[in-house]
Amino acid sequence: MIDIGIVLEDMWSPIIFIVIVLLNLGLAYWLFKMGDPTYNKTEHSGEPFISGNRPPEDVRKIHVAGDNLFWGFTDALKRYFEPLIEGHTGRLNDYMYWVVITLAVVLVYIYLVV
Amino acid sequence: MTWDTIVTASPTFILGLPLLFAFLTTLVGRFSKRLGKLLFGVGLLLTTFFVGVMSYQVLTDGSWFYVFGAEQPSPENLLSFFRITFVADGFAVLATLTIAITALAAGIYSYSFMKGESGLNKFYTLFLLTLAGVNGMVLTGDLFNLFVWFEVTSVASCALVAFRNYKGKSVEAGLKYMVLSTVGGLFVLFSIGLLYGQYGVLNYALLREGITGTFIDKLALGILVVMFAMKSSSVPMQMWAPDAYGEAPGSVTPFIAITSMGSLFVLFRLLFGVFSVSISPAASGSILIILGVLSMIVGVTMALVQSDLKRLIAYLSVSQIGYMMMAVGVGLATLNTGEYESFGELAMQGGLFHMINDGVYKALLFLSAVAVVHATGIRSLNELGGVAHKMPYTTFFFLLGALSIAGIPPLSGFSSKLLIYKSVYLYSPILVIIALVVSIITLAIIGKAFFNAFLGPNQGLVKNHISKTMLLSMGILTAVLVLFTLFPNVVVTEIVSPAIEGLIGSFEGVLP
Repeated sequence: MIDIGIVLEDMWSPIIFIVIVLLNLGLAYWLFKMGDPTYNKTEHSGEPFISGNRPPEDVRKIHVAGDNLFWGFTDALKRYFEPLIEGHTGRLNDYMYWVVITLAVVLVYIYLVV
Repeated sequence: MTWDTIVTASPTFILGLPLLFAFLTTLVGRFSKRLGKLLFGVGLLLTTFFVGVMSYQVLTDGSWFYVFGAEQPSPENLLSFFRITFVADGFAVLATLTIAITALAAGIYSYSFMKGESGLNKFYTLFLLTLAGVNGMVLTGDLFNLFVWFEVTSVASCALVAFRNYKGKSVEAGLKYMVLSTVGGLFVLFSIGLLYGQYGVLNYALLREGITGTFIDKLALGILVVMFAMKSSSVPMQMWAPDAYGEAPGSVTPFIAITSMGSLFVLFRLLFGVFSVSISPAASGSILIILGVLSMIVGVTMALVQSDLKRLIAYLSVSQIGYMMMAVGVGLATLNTGEYESFGELAMQGGLFHMINDGVYKALLFLSAVAVVHATGIRSLNELGGVAHKMPYTTFFFLLGALSIAGIPPLSGFSSKLLIYKSVYLYSPILVIIALVVSIITLAIIGKAFFNAFLGPNQGLVKNHISKTMLLSMGILTAVLVLFTLFPNVVVTEIVSPAIEGLIGSFEGVLP
């Protein structure tokens, strides 16, 4: 018979976690229901708010493109990223070099350590 | 033939049925494409069924060894040396289950995703051949047989990657994958020759008893480790993987990724099952740990700078392979020491649990990303946006896979990572700090992908319909992911722990 114990290694129970999350969601919903029910939706409600500026007509200009996210992080670490990206040349010869280099290093390691 | 005989022979059905149906699909497909398609589905379902049969039998009654040919080798009868051993143990169960779940989902997804492509019967044949090959790799107990299945997998999966030969990039990716796989295969054959030349045997169990740790043994070990690590897309030999995963037909991308994991299963089997007795497991374990840490760091940082959705997930996949290598490396490094009891076994549990977990959530991520690409025709995160408005189910599936790969509780990725953190910390706290940082960056990357592709105003990018079979395949993976999430304890005790026993076991049953 399978033991469907809910605790993993005495440290983690996803079921208890989910129950607590559901309780919190219930509490949040209760607080939400306590709010003012007379709120009126206007024609502008739900529109993007960009620091009070009028949103652009073209919705594509509101969206942040993939390369813009984390630009600061990658730019600050460009001394790490630039050689890493340049190393991924896409050339099969380079792929083979890495296999040969890794084989050489691993063999030397095995002979020195074992 | 009684049911007991069928159960005992289930490893042969797991290998033989996909081979048979691969042949039938092409043969019958020449006359009726619909029948060929149907046969592909039947072959896939039957193979999955026998994986289930073997798994149930191993997990209830223990492991066994199925021998093709002579039961015992005998010096009087040379023909008796024609024997191939298949190992049906806990580790084979973990590996075949991981492969079967992904193959089933990818196969169902392919039904409608590949509609409109020409030569579909060849596609189904290649799919089933890859399935047979990768199952053979993880089930065999014989080195030469391993090489044969390795080659079957390589040839079929390279052809799958290059299947859309009207696209230059697919052919290029297939060619790169083929050259690396062929070189890898030749090196593997060379190392098998080195071992056979010394000991005259190819059987894992006999080699385990025979290997004495000579200069030649170390050479063979080094070659096998590097070549299977390369096939597992471990850094610094990972560069083929984003090319192959990115350019393969979307429906089989997770399946190609699972063949890489098949190589990792084989690597673990060889290190524990063949070499751990005579060659210091601490040294082999430390190689795994170093390759694992490199894979985690380089994989995740390369994913950060990707704007192509499929390549981004491919690099995350490389990073996740790193977690498995590190955790199992810690288990191997502590093998036969007191530390194994205190945290090495827990690291093994975390590493192996992460393998089956990763197989599921990575497939879910790939298939939901491919659904977005299929619906919009766009892969670039700079151009995607707002697809959640039109693709709510795919959004949900992607989010589940994304949160799981990032290790966010309560999803199953968190459970396996927690086991890894707790155990590896006792081996080296620095490794856990690296793993945690990698996990945080993974979350940031997944946030970027989700935000860019799914959120934001509706830009009207969704042009194509996502079929019900594509949703069904993602639904199957989600159901498995939810089960793993809710009952990690069951997975660890019922599947992962027997896998560890199988990995460390001594193959006593196959000794002559």
